Amino acid sequence: MSARTHSLFRLAVCLMGLSVGCAAAPDPALLKLGAAVYRKDCVRCHGPKGEGVARKHDEPLTGDRSVESLATYIQRTMPEDDPGSCSAEDSAAVAAYIHGAFYSPEARAKLFPVRKELQRLTHRQFQESVADLLAGFGKVKQATPTGGLNAEYWQSKGMNKKERSALKRTDAFVDVDFGTNSPTADITADQFSVAWSGSLWAPESGTYEFRLRTPNGARLYLNSDLASGDANRRDDSDAKRQNATIDLWVSSGGQMREATAAVPLLGGRSYPLRVDFFKFKEAHASVRLEWRPPHGAWSVVPSQVLSTNASTSWVVVSTPFPADDSSHGYARGTAVSKAWLDAVSRAAVEVSGVIDGRLGSLTGSREGATNRVTALKTFAGTLAERTWRRPLSTKERATVVDGFFAKGVAPETALKRSVLRILTSPEFLYPGLDGRRDDASVAAQLALALWDSVPDEALRAAAQEGQLKTADQIRAQAARMLSDPRARAKLTGFFHHWLKLEEATDISKDPKAYPGFDEAVVSDLRWSLETFLEHVVWSERSDYRELLQADYLYLNPRLAAFYGAKVPVDAGFVPVKFDASQRAGVLTHPLLLAAFSYHRSSSPIHRGVFLTRNVLGRTLRPPPMAIEFMDDRFDPSLTMREKVTELTGKASCMGCHATINPLGFSLEHFDAVGRFRTVDNAKPVNATAEYTTAEGQVVRLSGARDVANHAAESPEARRAFVKQLFQHTWKQAPMAFAPDLLGRLDAQFLRDSHHIQRLWIEIAVAGVTEGMETKR
Amino acid sequence: MNVLKHQGLDRRGFVRQLGLTAAAVPFLAGLPSLNAARTKRPPQRIVFIFTPNGTVPPLFWPDAEGPHSTFKRILAPLTPFKDRVLTIQGLCNRVRGDGDGHMRGMSCLLTGIELFPGNIQGGSDTPAGWASGPSIDQELGRFLQTRAETRTRFATLDLGVAVPNRADPWTRWSYAGPNQPVAPVSDPYQVFERMFGQMKDQESLGSVLDGVRDDLKRAGKNLGKEDRALLEKHATFVREMERELKDVRRQKLARPAPALEPGVSTDNDDMPRSSVMQSDLLVNAFANDMTRVASLQYTNSVGQARMKWIGVDEGHHSLSHDPDLNEGSQEKLAKINVWFAEQIAALAKKLQDTPEPGGQGTLLDHTTLLWTNELGKGNSHTLENIPFVLVGGGLGFRSGRAVKFEMTPHNRLWMALAHAFGNEVKAFGNPKFCDKGALGLA
Repeated sequence: MSARTHSLFRLAVCLMGLSVGCAAAPDPALLKLGAAVYRKDCVRCHGPKGEGVARKHDEPLTGDRSVESLATYIQRTMPEDDPGSCSAEDSAAVAAYIHGAFYSPEARAKLFPVRKELQRLTHRQFQESVADLLAGFGKVKQATPTGGLNAEYWQSKGMNKKERSALKRTDAFVDVDFGTNSPTADITADQFSVAWSGSLWAPESGTYEFRLRTPNGARLYLNSDLASGDANRRDDSDAKRQNATIDLWVSSGGQMREATAAVPLLGGRSYPLRVDFFKFKEAHASVRLEWRPPHGAWSVVPSQVLSTNASTSWVVVSTPFPADDSSHGYARGTAVSKAWLDAVSRAAVEVSGVIDGRLGSLTGSREGATNRVTALKTFAGTLAERTWRRPLSTKERATVVDGFFAKGVAPETALKRSVLRILTSPEFLYPGLDGRRDDASVAAQLALALWDSVPDEALRAAAQEGQLKTADQIRAQAARMLSDPRARAKLTGFFHHWLKLEEATDISKDPKAYPGFDEAVVSDLRWSLETFLEHVVWSERSDYRELLQADYLYLNPRLAAFYGAKVPVDAGFVPVKFDASQRAGVLTHPLLLAAFSYHRSSSPIHRGVFLTRNVLGRTLRPPPMAIEFMDDRFDPSLTMREKVTELTGKASCMGCHATINPLGFSLEHFDAVGRFRTVDNAKPVNATAEYTTAEGQVVRLSGARDVANHAAESPEARRAFVKQLFQHTWKQAPMAFAPDLLGRLDAQFLRDSHHIQRLWIEIAVAGVTEGMETKR
Repeated sequence: MNVLKHQGLDRRGFVRQLGLTAAAVPFLAGLPSLNAARTKRPPQRIVFIFTPNGTVPPLFWPDAEGPHSTFKRILAPLTPFKDRVLTIQGLCNRVRGDGDGHMRGMSCLLTGIELFPGNIQGGSDTPAGWASGPSIDQELGRFLQTRAETRTRFATLDLGVAVPNRADPWTRWSYAGPNQPVAPVSDPYQVFERMFGQMKDQESLGSVLDGVRDDLKRAGKNLGKEDRALLEKHATFVREMERELKDVRRQKLARPAPALEPGVSTDNDDMPRSSVMQSDLLVNAFANDMTRVASLQYTNSVGQARMKWIGVDEGHHSLSHDPDLNEGSQEKLAKINVWFAEQIAALAKKLQDTPEPGGQGTLLDHTTLLWTNELGKGNSHTLENIPFVLVGGGLGFRSGRAVKFEMTPHNRLWMALAHAFGNEVKAFGNPKFCDKGALGLA
């Protein structure tokens, strides 16, 4: 862009112009006046470049107000000791001057240029990479949910010895009480066995708890490679060397028994699952498999995550890592610490142990065999190339592989050391460290951008064949990669950030005020929201605006009963249409409305802050002082709106609350659990409000639908969405790649009818192609 | 050369089996207990050794009470330790209830308490589940961990030789509590990993850090100031870790990790080799004071060891069902039991050859090997006159003699052991078998 040759001010205006239409350049005389007024009246508190002055006003003078809005604000509130003393003309001049000099994000970007930083892998990237690296040595098989598991019912003879397969069918889940009866007419009630098998889909990454309950014999196998050719995991079968995730095989005491296991799983992957069950002469027979997913409640493992198809198992690193920096709204690896290095080292030891336990299948060699050393070296060499995402030089191979296979060192020990060396090396931990700009680096960048992982076979092949040179070639790869479950998992993570779902961990409400709003409902609401996001994003239209404007919610019977809608009793989650004036997309999804509420009442402030920052993409400074909302301090006859108005009435509050409150008030038709209401505290709800945009336009709102429509049309909201998705993808600001990149991506997004998938592809392509030109 | 090997069980599975998680094990801590000066009493140790299917009584029991003269055939391998051998005849497993003789023989042996009803059916009697109380080895381990002067890295070390990898009342004799069977580890490489794995991992890690630091330095050269600072910080932490690992390595073990023969499986044919390896590990664990209580379980109740290496091709349990008049079978059973006695003698010898670290005498002076069985005799499935042979010392029992009791519940022997360790229990297992108090063995 030619802006580099222009004045700072012109650059700022032109960039702004991308979204609001290019405004005329301000009059130089006005700027001169503004600078003079600033020096005279403002600089003593705000400093020469708005950086602030200690003990006077130490907040930097930055924000997203337009020049006009800034002018109004200055005239009304400045200077602090004599508000209103600044004339309209002076205020406008100061506003124009500081906006271009240091106030606007664009001016700041120029003053403090954003640099593409060297970053280490995040925890997620480390885990995803390891899972794919090891799975890559076998055939990868993923199973999308089919709504149940294979079930085979057997007549037993003599304890758990299978005599005859009597029934094969698909069961939606494992939760069955046979009582004193037999499962089918063909089987006797005193002794029988059942095997359920298939796959389990993990919707998000985290620790999942599983619970098996039975008064009989049962075992759970999860995420382990099961021996083939075994009708049931009988004690005397060749499966005897397999460890069960939960083992309740021996019934003891005639009581219902239960056992739980915590299993770390990565989202967007399916895991082999098997439950074996047998009854032998106990009075009753029953078995239930339950889980508690991250953020969820205990429930029977639901059919919507089960599949009758087989999956490969994945190595999930269970070593805990310190949390990555997320202060910018996305996890990034900008800092190293002792705790992080310790975690990386431990994780590398963990992985080297896993490899050590699977040497046979990974290297195709046996201990003591003549080809052992060669096989282990070959394996280590391949692992190094895939881990470092590029071919190794002879010298590098000698250092990280061959050098460990010395005389007097057992080959297995040598391999362990080689694996540790490869996984703790900067080449793995800091992608792009070597500064190469070749096909392999393009493949590496794409895999990180869309999967947080290492390139798969297709990407490696494309790199090797020189098929990653042009933007079109890269675009084609990105489009292919989007159909991979790993891409869905990463995008799901983005929506969790965008909608602040990670913070929404405790949504419990006062059970007296909201009877029935229990853990199960909250868990269902999470599913409902995830289903909605999946549906919109991965539909053909993939329209960003539908996220904001949809007039339907996904409900199951339990949610339908709670939110006053009707769905068939045996339905899973189905879309239910609502009055469009009432419900509007994610803004009125009950999970978010409940998350941004107090224990007993709605919270217009929390809702307003969420809308301001996340949906409309505006910046808010932290409040000058923390004020706790104490419900009992108010006149008990007030509505929530009246209380918030009273609480935030001071001028020092209204700097931000003039923006926050109207947005929050527009959602006052929803109580603390997200049910529509017309009355609050015995008074009719007032959800009308006037919201002033960053450009100073006043938008009249009369409810959630108006906010949604405004957000869907708002260029600043759209740009914020593009920016956040870019940052989630690349873990750097778009400004670090090119000053005009965000504007270009936003313009393309607009041309593409707000198509989210296409936007993401363009983000991936732009990150790679810009990266080629921008040296760190 | 130390070689690690795993049998179809990945490391995480192994760690899970031990009831540990990576998260629970600090990487630079929890090293083997290093015999830190424990001034007070000399250590007391015990190993519970199980062999199955009853003995051959006429070739086993001394004829008379009192000091041993010449051992009969099965105990003959223990002759070098004659002065330290205490044989106890007349003890019975009186526990009744659910489960067949083998199941109760096994799961009530160290627990002295009934099995729960369950879904595991033997040849006769009613189906049963797990024992309804803890076993004496676990109780002793728990007790010693409650005192600073006897606390060790592992409360107990639960070892096996060719124990099949299935969990039922025939394969479990050690219980942490009701319904809490403890799985013995039959794979010596797994035991090695448990005892020294962390140390070996640290050694391996220490050997690569130097190279990582070189890489960081080299990569930093092509970077700008800020990015280079990140790598320099990383390198500083690597250096710190190197230093810490060196400090850890400076703490030497009292005895170095034993060298294990590679390529030994947990299968029947490798029993002689895995038996040697397990006893080497056990002696090392004692010498390094990693534990005071251990169990060593040869196969399982109803175990079908085929001891081809001594010319016995038939399964042990099948042979044990043959009548007394079948001389061929009796001869084979004698050979089998002699082989077991030889394993115990070999272990005793190793303990005798190892000086007590930081103390007086040898390990055997402070260690008692307790050899027992789930049955008195195989073909009758009797739970009476169960073999109990104590070898070694440290418990204050008068050794070098045979004692005989009349139909005495074996619970009382466990009480005597507890008391010898300073754990003044009023009963152990089912209290109704304990009313006469601990056996007097001093």
